[in-house]
Amino acid sequence: MKPRPFGYAAVDSVEEAVALLAEHGDDAKVLAGGQSLVPLLNLRLASPAVLIDVRRVDALREATRQHDGASIGAAVVHAAVEDGRVEDPTHGLLPAVAAGIGYRAVRNVGTIGGSLAHADPSAEWPVVLSALDANAVTRSPRGERRVPVRALTTGYFSTVLEPDELLLRIDVPPTRAQRWGFTKIARKTGEFAESLAVALVTLETDGRIAGAELWLGGAAGVPVRLATAADLLRGQAWDDKARREVRAAVALDLDPPVDADGRYRVHLHGVAVCRALDDAIGGQGAL
Amino acid sequence: MNEPAADVTVHLMVNGAPRRAAVPARTSLADLLRDHLHLTGTHLGCEHGACGACTVLVDGAPARACLLLAAGCDGADVVTVEGLTGDEVDVLRAAFRAEHGLQCGFCTPGILITALDVVRRRPNATADEIRVELSGNLCRCTGYVGIVNAVQRAASELCDRSAEVAR
Repeated sequence: MKPRPFGYAAVDSVEEAVALLAEHGDDAKVLAGGQSLVPLLNLRLASPAVLIDVRRVDALREATRQHDGASIGAAVVHAAVEDGRVEDPTHGLLPAVAAGIGYRAVRNVGTIGGSLAHADPSAEWPVVLSALDANAVTRSPRGERRVPVRALTTGYFSTVLEPDELLLRIDVPPTRAQRWGFTKIARKTGEFAESLAVALVTLETDGRIAGAELWLGGAAGVPVRLATAADLLRGQAWDDKARREVRAAVALDLDPPVDADGRYRVHLHGVAVCRALDDAIGGQGAL
Repeated sequence: MNEPAADVTVHLMVNGAPRRAAVPARTSLADLLRDHLHLTGTHLGCEHGACGACTVLVDGAPARACLLLAAGCDGADVVTVEGLTGDEVDVLRAAFRAEHGLQCGFCTPGILITALDVVRRRPNATADEIRVELSGNLCRCTGYVGIVNAVQRAASELCDRSAEVAR
């Protein structure tokens, strides 16, 4: 289908973008890559009166090293992260995540900021950047603010971003964990995830788990921190007993399943988390 | 341009030639190519980015023409299937013929664009890696085996050719 008619404005600066957002507020949507927004327009699930195209705003495409972390402009495309053209303080986690987003043609255009602002519960960046405890920096007529990505998403396709607020960049801090693991389970390569699991792990010298940060995407309207599973892993070896306990703990951290479909999904999430831990501890990524 | 406009004038390169069109702002790049420039080789299958039939090269990289606004392509360098020429493409085309990489042809323009990018960017891709790279191009006819074989054959031949040149 074709979108309903709208007014289009391409801007060259953050200031211009914010001014237009201030003027048109609820009636306007920011267009960066459009790989999430344009499908909504084509399906007429969204009909903004105004589109503000920020693709030419250079400030939104920059990616720089910040101390030991990185600052990634909101309009940086997934392919730039995939290809290693962006500062990566996570020793390969960010590129590995980017490489699994949709398809290359989508990754060449879709942006990291767009993914966060759209807040699809099955998207990669909300859960991964939550696990990394990144911060989103925004600008509105009221000035700039920093929002922890962990606090950004409030529900399905909902964030704390105001209608006149523009996402500028994501600051990824250096992390204390040593190893990372990431699993995406989808029926078909490139589709939205049925489950996304991120594991950031630190090991003792004898191989037992000193600490873990476990996050799950695709399980709820917001990324889920698996606190119970992470707590029980402290001081444990990663063996079959631990795997069984993690799967049970994941089930506790999610809504209790009421039917066969729910039971399957909870089981799937447990499997995803175990695979992410296998990857992290089995040597996938050293942070 | 600062005030939102319902209509836009777009200047862009298409298959090596400068083109200009005045279109409603909601016009996709695909619709610009097909309806205004009469380049109907770029196909519309799903109009939400999943099927790949609309894939074209924009500034050298594959992109979904159904998800790009024409307005957003002002100044862009677009190549469609109609504009695929050169030795590299000849090798690709011959490989698709030899390996029976198409039947009805509906997916083929998007597949060729994606395949060209794969052989350029990942010339040593394995069959499994090629399958992953092609996962965004749906084909209802072939079952994909011929397509994957064609891409591998083209990559291998292009590799041999560049080794020849190097010698």
